[in-house]
Amino acid sequence: MIKAWLVVKELLRGAGITSRHFFVNMTFHTLRLFGIKTKRRGAVTIQYPEERKELSPRHRSLHRIRPRDDGRPSCVACMLCVTVCPSECISVEAAEDPDPEVQKVPAKFVVDLNRCCFCGFCVEACPVDAIRMDTGEIRLASKTRAGLEARLDKP
Amino acid sequence: MLADVLIVLAKVVLALTWTLLLALFLTWVERKESAVMQDRIGANRASVFGLRLFGLFQPFADAIKMLFKEDFAPTFSQRALHWLAPTFSFFFVSVAIVAVPFGDTVRLFGRRIPLQVVDLNAAVLFVLAMLSLGIYGILVSGWASANRYALIGSLRGAAQLISYEVALGLSLVGLIMVFPSLSLSRIVESQGALLFGFLPKWGVFLQPLGFAVFFLAGMAGTKRVPFDLPEGESEIIGFYTEYGGLKFGLFMFTDFLEVIVLSAMSTTLFFGGWQVPWLGDGGFAFPWGGRLDVAPWAVTVLRVLAFNLKVFFFCWLQILTRWTYPRFRYDQIMDLGWKVLVPLGVGNILITGLILAARG
Amino acid sequence: MSGLKRVGLTIDGLKVQAAEGTSILKAAEQAGVVIPHFCYHPALEIEGNCRMCVVEIEGLPKLEPSCSALVREGLVVRTSTERVREARKDVLAFLLAEHPLDCPICDKAGECRLQDYYDRHGLTASRMVEPRERREKKLAIGRGLILDRERCVLCTRCVRFLRQMPGTGELGVFERGLRSEVGIFEDAPVDNGYSGNLVDICPVGAITAEDFRFKTRAWFLARKPSVCPHCGRGCAVTVESVSGYPLAKGERRVYRITARENPAVNGFWICDLGRDGRRDIDEGRHARLMKAGVPVAGLSWQTALADVAAAIRTVPGPERSAGIAVVLNGRLTCEELALAKRLFVAGLGLSKVYFADRKPGSADGLLLTAERLPNGRGVLEAGFAPRLPALDEIAAADVLLVFGPYLSEHLAEEALAKAWAGIPSKFLFSAHEGPLDRLADIVFPVAVPAEKSGTYINVDGTRQTFAQAVKPAAGVAAESAILAGLANLLALDAGGGDAR
Repeated sequence: MIKAWLVVKELLRGAGITSRHFFVNMTFHTLRLFGIKTKRRGAVTIQYPEERKELSPRHRSLHRIRPRDDGRPSCVACMLCVTVCPSECISVEAAEDPDPEVQKVPAKFVVDLNRCCFCGFCVEACPVDAIRMDTGEIRLASKTRAGLEARLDKP
Repeated sequence: MLADVLIVLAKVVLALTWTLLLALFLTWVERKESAVMQDRIGANRASVFGLRLFGLFQPFADAIKMLFKEDFAPTFSQRALHWLAPTFSFFFVSVAIVAVPFGDTVRLFGRRIPLQVVDLNAAVLFVLAMLSLGIYGILVSGWASANRYALIGSLRGAAQLISYEVALGLSLVGLIMVFPSLSLSRIVESQGALLFGFLPKWGVFLQPLGFAVFFLAGMAGTKRVPFDLPEGESEIIGFYTEYGGLKFGLFMFTDFLEVIVLSAMSTTLFFGGWQVPWLGDGGFAFPWGGRLDVAPWAVTVLRVLAFNLKVFFFCWLQILTRWTYPRFRYDQIMDLGWKVLVPLGVGNILITGLILAARG
Repeated sequence: MSGLKRVGLTIDGLKVQAAEGTSILKAAEQAGVVIPHFCYHPALEIEGNCRMCVVEIEGLPKLEPSCSALVREGLVVRTSTERVREARKDVLAFLLAEHPLDCPICDKAGECRLQDYYDRHGLTASRMVEPRERREKKLAIGRGLILDRERCVLCTRCVRFLRQMPGTGELGVFERGLRSEVGIFEDAPVDNGYSGNLVDICPVGAITAEDFRFKTRAWFLARKPSVCPHCGRGCAVTVESVSGYPLAKGERRVYRITARENPAVNGFWICDLGRDGRRDIDEGRHARLMKAGVPVAGLSWQTALADVAAAIRTVPGPERSAGIAVVLNGRLTCEELALAKRLFVAGLGLSKVYFADRKPGSADGLLLTAERLPNGRGVLEAGFAPRLPALDEIAAADVLLVFGPYLSEHLAEEALAKAWAGIPSKFLFSAHEGPLDRLADIVFPVAVPAEKSGTYINVDGTRQTFAQAVKPAAGVAAESAILAGLANLLALDAGGGDAR
């Protein structure tokens, strides 16, 4: 008998929680419907395509290569990102630069976003702080595989 | 004669339209209510010419989507039965609604028209019977799908429905003893009287235990969470494993119709049906002595409105339940049926009988 | 260690025995104690200028460079005391004060002693506040070598090597003190057949090779031992290749060939010809079966070999000796030669078994021999008498099997074409493209020595067994497999015992 009562009590408590949420949220929804702006909203939903959450400063999004002052990529094709990449998605081909101060530049720098897991290891590994994942571009979709191969050495 | 037929036809059309529209509406309510409960917004994108109306068009969008989906049936399924199963379920549930009184009688063109499709003298039994027949839809669907999971689901469904059918029947015996009639319209009329001079003589006040058993058993009969063992999508997917598109839509719609039927029956049997507390044919007669005259047409409108409100409250309650509790385990559900609800139903009959005998 | 007196000393608490006249560094190495060093090289004269190898010797007030200090009886040496570690740290700090930290673009990164030692013994922050000295970053010093003076630590290994090993001495240290730098004499770039070793011995990335420059990184390379097949010396080499990621299709597989230490054959060095052998592995290779000079899609080794077997069968037994001609070469391993002997001479009873190889070049008196085939002794040992075929001897055959593309080096192409035109069936088994390709009925792509395992016997009779260093491309098979398959098709005993 006591056990049965405990069960019923807990059931009622559960229903109480859900209905409290319902009525409280409903109140705020209704207030908003009648044009009364409250600080609290009835729902925590963000209406995604129209509303965007601000990306955290330490977010990771599409890669970019920081340009030098003259606009050329600052990457020196050291391939440390290639080495550290756990999903083996970066491929770099190096080329000779006539400037002896630069010497090594990427002839091709491709990130295969099909494979990339956005771990950010490449950013950490980069000795010249060339590759960064701060473009804020998180909507990466393409209808072809080739469309997801990001050429980073060309601006 | 022709007029009688026309009137009945009109009532059938009205009742069905009301039920189907309410069921359609309920799909939206379910989405929205669960969303609000969970601090979400819920479906709000469906729009007509940019008019969103809180996603009210979502049910229509869903219906269109389901209509245009591929009519799929597995290779070894029995095509005819596969199609027949959802229509079975759908048909029997929608038939059950005809016995429910939506209001009292209206006077129109000199006729007294009861707001009830047919006033069966054994309506309680009729509704129970129709709800029980719905089980064939489940059984047939599981068998026709040629799928083990579907079959397991349908067998679970059959076992569950039969178990709770017993409790459902028992819970109503006490009520029938109190309002000695099987006619729903008679039962509703009896609930217009007052208890102790102020309390409406609703079934729930006379038979609180009976109502509890009835509502619980009825919810188990709708096969919705937390009683969704036949479906059990996280374990066996259930009897509509092999159903998609329109056929699945029919099953889903049946669920909502069952919710409505249960709400209508609860209202009718235990919450005074279309009765508004203290409202007589002439107007309100409050227990503290006040009187408020109301025009006859307004009385009818108030009563229909009251019926609808009550039904809607029970729909809301069921959806709240569905989004609050997790699914029962199979042994628990059988325990609840046979070891709790059936004894409670029998006890209720005993107590009712004793009280009735004591009062002579 | 026969005549030399052995002395006993203690290194880091270990009792060590070493021959008299050994340096402490070497004795420690033999005892398993590693002492860091830049300028010391076991094959070069001791200079002791880097001071990285200093150790503490009991009884001596100062730290001693272990590369030049010789072992003595009863010496007590400590290689990792606080003083020694402090000294190493200081040496590294001085070297790094002027070192441009361009490891990201340095080809040596990953196998650089300075990097390794900094990691192990240095780990100090730079204390330089002045700008670093700028020097020549990209100076061509001849033979595809590039000198970066900023990176140079002035160990003079290169200078000593050129003076000692080829004896040409093109490099020297110029200027003095702070301004010292390695360089070539005016208008006399490095030009000798052993220049590639400079890249190997440079402890930092000061001398790098154009051929390897920026192509890949050292840590991507898989290093497998092999034997150089480009002359009769059979030098020990390391084949450094990349397989799989980050290799893109069409890139080279073998990035470089470096010297491997083998005191019995080549010491520490290899010649530039052998180093250039990486082209032999990746360039001008056949990758697919060809019929009449064009690749045929869907042609399998089985059907192609069956064609060869069928052609051999068309010649009746008694006529085979004269009707079938086989041209082998000295690049085949001993195992393959034994198999060929068994198949062609013992099995089929052929008498026309010839040999065609690269034309001999000139010997340089060091490692490179005049003979440009790796297994000349192996051919003799297998019981062949190698002889170049005359044109009419080939032309008389009904079936011709040629291993290797070297026939065209000895015979004029037009004459060959004329002679081959008269032969009903002729098959070429060649790793490389050549003028014979369009003459043969079927060209079979075969593996180069680095892709096989086997044994070579060098000019001095040293027998060297080597394992596969690079995986051959799909569709390329070793001659051993071809010969075994042929024997199988002809229902002859391939002798599973002595050939793989």
